[in-house]
Amino acid sequence: MATYTLETNGAVCPFPLIDAKQAIAQLQSGDDLVIDFDCTQATEALPQWAAEDGHDVVSFDRAGDAGWTITVRKGT
Amino acid sequence: MVITGLVLGAVLGYVLQRSRFCVTGAFRDIYLSRSTRYFTPFLLAIAIQAVGVAALTGAGVLAPEAASFAPLAVIGGGLLFGVGIIYAGGCATGTYYRAGEGLIGSWVALIFYALLASVMKHGPLAAFTDSARSQTIADATIHETLGVSVWVPTLVFTAIVGALTVGQVRRSAGKKKVAALPARRSGIGHYLADIPWSPWVGGVLLGLIAIAAWVLSTAAGRNGGLGITTPSANIATFLATGDVTLVDWSVMLVLGILIGSFAAATLSGEFRWRTPDSRTMLRSAAGGVLMGVGAALAGGCTIGNSLVETALFSYQGWVSLVAIMLGTWGAAWFLLVRPQRATGAGSRPAPVLTPAA
Repeated sequence: MATYTLETNGAVCPFPLIDAKQAIAQLQSGDDLVIDFDCTQATEALPQWAAEDGHDVVSFDRAGDAGWTITVRKGT
Repeated sequence: MVITGLVLGAVLGYVLQRSRFCVTGAFRDIYLSRSTRYFTPFLLAIAIQAVGVAALTGAGVLAPEAASFAPLAVIGGGLLFGVGIIYAGGCATGTYYRAGEGLIGSWVALIFYALLASVMKHGPLAAFTDSARSQTIADATIHETLGVSVWVPTLVFTAIVGALTVGQVRRSAGKKKVAALPARRSGIGHYLADIPWSPWVGGVLLGLIAIAAWVLSTAAGRNGGLGITTPSANIATFLATGDVTLVDWSVMLVLGILIGSFAAATLSGEFRWRTPDSRTMLRSAAGGVLMGVGAALAGGCTIGNSLVETALFSYQGWVSLVAIMLGTWGAAWFLLVRPQRATGAGSRPAPVLTPAA
């Protein structure tokens, strides 16, 4: 199972979510997508999307002030 | 006591930052992801305010005056404002609280919004704004047309919102658990400056703050509720002319939003100066221009019209809410949906995926 990183720091919402949706479409089920982001609203939007679209959140944590990283495992 | 504006504004900024409440997102996501996650809580805020204001008006505490309805200015201005907030990445209050979180792009949007609102209200285009807004039709409010008490639309609307709220809460109850950030604080700090607040908490508090705004603003000699555009224009005009009479309760309110949001973001480790690329910066500037022009013509923004005038059941409030929403949908299609379909020149580059080592 491969792991890919999507760097969205500097992008304002809703672009991190739009990019995450496009990115995960390119992956296989079970692949991990690490998304780095610094738009506060995405702390809400990204885990919400993962739950609704059936992807597992492997990890979700802060990366310094006003920075976050979430790892989403693509569902089937 | 204009200082109560500063305090209430700070509370508002704090609540918006913690609940990530974004009216732009609420309108946009109905189209973009068929989601009413933030829109129903926003309607709940309108309903709470409508009940509170109707009760306080009945008790003789408030004497709200709904704006006269100028259809062309309200529809045209609402559409422009809706497009503007998609380009700026947030509505007027959203832009204030994101500026308080350290987003440079929001400061750019804010400066152009305040400047253009001032141009339209106090500057060279004031005559144009006045003449556009003077093309009014007979009735100002829905209950005036129907010849009924304000309680009729208030209770009907509250019943509808109550049903929508119950439905939405029920639907989300059985859903998969949403991942949350690890806790960094315990006790009361965990609730105040750690976990994000749910949109429902944000909506209820927004409704209560809107009622408090009516009471405190009236006590300070300004007959009005929450308002963002007029004070923003006043700040720009005051800075250029030194006319202190422009610095009223509502100016304190918008300055308070910056302070409250800055405090909330700092306490929860979410403040950082964030500089966008030049493309985002230009979009923010263009968005700010459209917001200033649109809100001045429509007589308000997503707060002054979509939250406050709607609670008075004025035509201006509801027609501009629909116009702003259509504006956000059109701009969301143009800026967010279309580029994903097109692959030619000018489309947005596909996200770059890097395989991890």
